[in-house]
This record gives sequence, C-alpha cells and structure tokens, in this order.
Amino acid sequence: MSAPVDKPLPTPCLPTLGQVLARAHMRLILFAVLMAGVTLTVTGVLVIRGYADRNLALIAQTVAYTVEPALIFDDMEAARSGIAAVAASESVHRVDVRTPDGRALVSWRRPGDDIMTMIEGSIANLVASAPATVDVRRGDRLIARVSVHGGAEGLGRFILSGLATAIACLVLTLIATWTLARRLQRDVTDPLSRIADVAHEVRANRQFDRRAPHAHIREVDQLGRDFNALLEELNDWHSGVLSHNRMLERQATRDALTGLGNRAMFERALPATIAQADALNLPFAILYLDVNRFKPVNDTYGHDAGDAMLIVIAARLRAGLRSGDQAFRLGGDEFALILAPGVGQEEMEAVQARIADGMRQPIMLPGGESVDGSLSIGSARYPQDSADARDLLRHADAAMYAAKGRRAGGKE
Amino acid sequence: MRSLFFTLLLLLPTVALAVPSVQPAMLPIGTDADARAASTARMVGAMLEYTRWPTPRPVLRLCLAGTARYAGRLADISLSNGAQLQLSSLTGAGATRSEGCDALYIGQIDSAPMQGLVAGTRGQPVLTIAEDDPDCGSGVIFCLLYAPQTLSFQLNIDAVSRSAVRIDPRVLRLSKGGY
Repeated sequence: MSAPVDKPLPTPCLPTLGQVLARAHMRLILFAVLMAGVTLTVTGVLVIRGYADRNLALIAQTVAYTVEPALIFDDMEAARSGIAAVAASESVHRVDVRTPDGRALVSWRRPGDDIMTMIEGSIANLVASAPATVDVRRGDRLIARVSVHGGAEGLGRFILSGLATAIACLVLTLIATWTLARRLQRDVTDPLSRIADVAHEVRANRQFDRRAPHAHIREVDQLGRDFNALLEELNDWHSGVLSHNRMLERQATRDALTGLGNRAMFERALPATIAQADALNLPFAILYLDVNRFKPVNDTYGHDAGDAMLIVIAARLRAGLRSGDQAFRLGGDEFALILAPGVGQEEMEAVQARIADGMRQPIMLPGGESVDGSLSIGSARYPQDSADARDLLRHADAAMYAAKGRRAGGKE
Repeated sequence: MRSLFFTLLLLLPTVALAVPSVQPAMLPIGTDADARAASTARMVGAMLEYTRWPTPRPVLRLCLAGTARYAGRLADISLSNGAQLQLSSLTGAGATRSEGCDALYIGQIDSAPMQGLVAGTRGQPVLTIAEDDPDCGSGVIFCLLYAPQTLSFQLNIDAVSRSAVRIDPRVLRLSKGGY
C-alpha cells in the first residue's frame, strides 16, 4: 500500500524565482536608499544647523553693531530701521533688544510669513537651536542685549527637499527593482524554466529528443548540460527497453528454428483472421501440414539433419505463399498456414498444389544425403467447413490425417 | 461716534503719507530748560562717543563759546572709554581761538566770530557742535536741531572731511536727512 506518488500534487502557493529575486532586490535597494537617505539627512541637518547657528550669531553681531549708535543716541526708531535693514534679507523671525535688566527697548518681527515659510519654519523649529544672543557694549559698559530668533528656514527647506528626494528615490527604486527583476528573469529564470519545460515535456509526452538550450550562466548551463546528458542516458535506456521488449515479444511469438510464427501466435492470428473475414464478409482457409518422413530422417541422420530439413521446408512454404498469407510451425514437424481472406476453392487448391510441387525436389542434408520432403496437407475453409475456430482446426486436422492415411494406403 | 470713525478712516492715508520712511535721530525732550539741557548733554555725550581723535585723549577738553542756553548739564557727561571731561569757556581775547580744545560747543554767537572759530578748527582735531544753527550753514560738524518735543542733529559731511577728527560712519544714518 504505497502513496500515489505519480499523482500530481496540488502546487501550494510558492513564490516564483523571479518574485523571490525581485523581493530580495527590493529589500536591498530600499535598505540602501534608506541608509543613504538617513545618513545624508542627519549629516546635512547637523552641518546646516551648524551653519545656521553661526549665521544667526553673525546676524546678531551685525544687529548689535548697527543698533549701537542708535541706542547711544537713544533713538529707538533708528534702531528699529537698522534692525529691519539687517534682518529683512535674512531668515530671521524676531529680533529683541533689551536693556541688561531685561526691559524691552526694540522688538522687531518679520511681517506676513506665507504658509510655505511657516511649514518650513515649524519643521525647522523641531531641530533648530536656541536664539543667538549678543551683548551691545560701549567700552566697558553693557548697553543692551540683542537676541535673534529663527534663521533655520534653510534647514526646513533642506528637510522638505530631503523628503521629496527620498520619495523620488523610492520611485526610482521601484523602477530599478522592476528592471533588475526583468533582467534576472531573462538571465536566470528563463533558462531554468526552459529546462523545466523540457523536463515536463519528457515526462508527459516521452519526447526524449528534446534538449535544454544553452544558458549564459555557468551554473545554469552546467545544469542544462547534465540534464541533457541524463536525457541521453534515459533515451538509450528507453530504447534498450523497447528493443528488449520487442525481442521478448518475438521470442514469445516466433519459432526460433524456422523464424515462422509459433503455436501461440497461430492461436492469436486465427481469431483475428476470423474477425477480419467477418468484417469483410470474405471466406478464407487454413492448411495443416505434416512432414511425411521427418521421424525416420531424425532417427537416421540425427537431430541436426532433422532441423536442417525443417528449415528448408519452412523456406519452401514461405516461398509458396501469397502476400497476406501467414505460415506457422505448431511444433515438431507440424506446420499451419492461414490463407488471407478472399481466397476461393480454386485458389486454395492452387496454393496446395504449388506447395506440394515445391516439396517434390529432394532436400539436401548437411551430411550430403538427400531426402524426400513431401508433406501431408489438410485444409478447412471458413465459413463453408465451419464457422467456429476450434471446429475449423479439427476439420483441417482430420483432413490432413485423411491425406496421410490415403498416402500410406496408396503406398502399401 | 460713527462719523468720527469715518473721519479717522479718511485721515488714515494722510497719516501714512506723513510718516517718513527714514527717521533721523530724535531725542524726546521736555519743555523746561533743565530737561532740555539734560537731553543736550546726552546727545553731546553720544557725539563724543563716536568721535575719534588722531591720538587718544585721556582728558577730553570741551570748550564752550558764545552764549549757550542748554549747556548747563554738560558736566554730567561720562564717557564709556573712561576719559575725563574737562569743561572750559572761551572768553575775551581767546574767544575766537580754539587751541587747547578737543571739542567746541558753540552757543549763540555773532556770525563774524563764529566764522573765525570755525576757520580756526579747519584741519585741527577739534569736534565742533553748534547749538544755534538750525540751517547748519556755519561749517560746524554737528548742528543741534531743537523742536518743541524732540532734539535731533544734522551732520555736516563737508566739515567732517575738513576736520582731523573722524566720526563713526554709523552716526551718519542717525543724522537729519540721512546719508
């Protein structure tokens, strides 16, 4: 009780080689893009933040330098316009000038930021540093303190553009993965699937002449070659089995000595001929033949002489047949002929006469002796004599013995 | 109430046009003479702060000429570099000579001695400030401009170029008319 191995199992939802490769590529490229993106963004943010800090400090220095005389002259309007002149062109949100004890002297705010700047600003605020503060001094005296806020729009812009670049890179990644997967499919998967096709073809249709084509990858090509060699061996083995089978069949149906059909074959051929005759609605005939002087020859000159005699008789029988007729050696010195459907009484008698005529010539034995090869022949016609195979045989057998008796009687 | 609001609304463009884009330095001043003198002292002190002499002056000699109305508090000036201020008056024969002065505060004076004073400071390291020259035509470096509520000044760039003292260019922006 073995499991039905040959039955094709339902294929589970396995991924194809192409899908596996595409997925691996996707992961690899995604990882690379993310790594590069994160590294670049972090480095960029740090560098830009450093620059932004320095820029802010510089702006604070400039503002302090600009507003110093105005503060000394106690002119806040001039201070404000000085701040505006410095800060307006920079990415500054707010400038506060306070006295050392914290009283506000001048406060400047950038007017009317648009929404984009606000988004960039709020992103920048997540990573932005503290406001830059610079003291305004005149000699040893601390006059005021300038603090400058913001100045990180560049950072926000960098982060936003970094995000956009990352998304663009992801799209590129998808395209690259797709292209790579296609290339791999062409280079790896296609040759493999061609080998698989051949294997399937061989298995399903026994087409042993199919061969896997060459591939451009060493391993795949090696696999293809080995597979082809295996197919070659399989082909040889298959044809060996076929010829062996043919030989066995031949041995089962042929008489080894004379090459005529044996009794088994005769017993198969008779019903087949009856069926053929029925189908064509034609008569046919069988002849039973017995060698008259076989036993004396065998006894006198040995079995080799008997065999040689049988071979010659078989050859003469075959020569007397028409096409479509069949000759059999049933065993010992007994032969049978099936005359193909369509044979009439006269033609049957003509064949009978031709065979008897052919046997009139003495047979030369290997020892140089010549012996008489005459036969006793009995015939039965289908369906005139009998429509039953067994009955037909009996009829022919009886006719042959009658002929043998007549011959013995005639001699005595 | 409603008509008042509309009137104000109509006046708004006028107000906007009236505000100049660049404002000169304007020190608010009080109405009484002492407050004006304090403001004057503060402004003169600021002018001295942003003036550079060819060699540093540990003692800064400020001379008064003519009849000054708001010079009463000039002695209160203290300079951030620690220089001491020494006040003196030019009177009599030396009234038109500025030797021994690092700065000259000129009050009300006739035009002839005024011209003599100014001519004497030409090419010299002397800072000149005029209290009573609203047109700033006398050739001094700084002219104080008194308005009812504010005090401002005008810088005469010709006088600066003819003088041996140097004025911090940032002060130019604070001058009336600007540069």
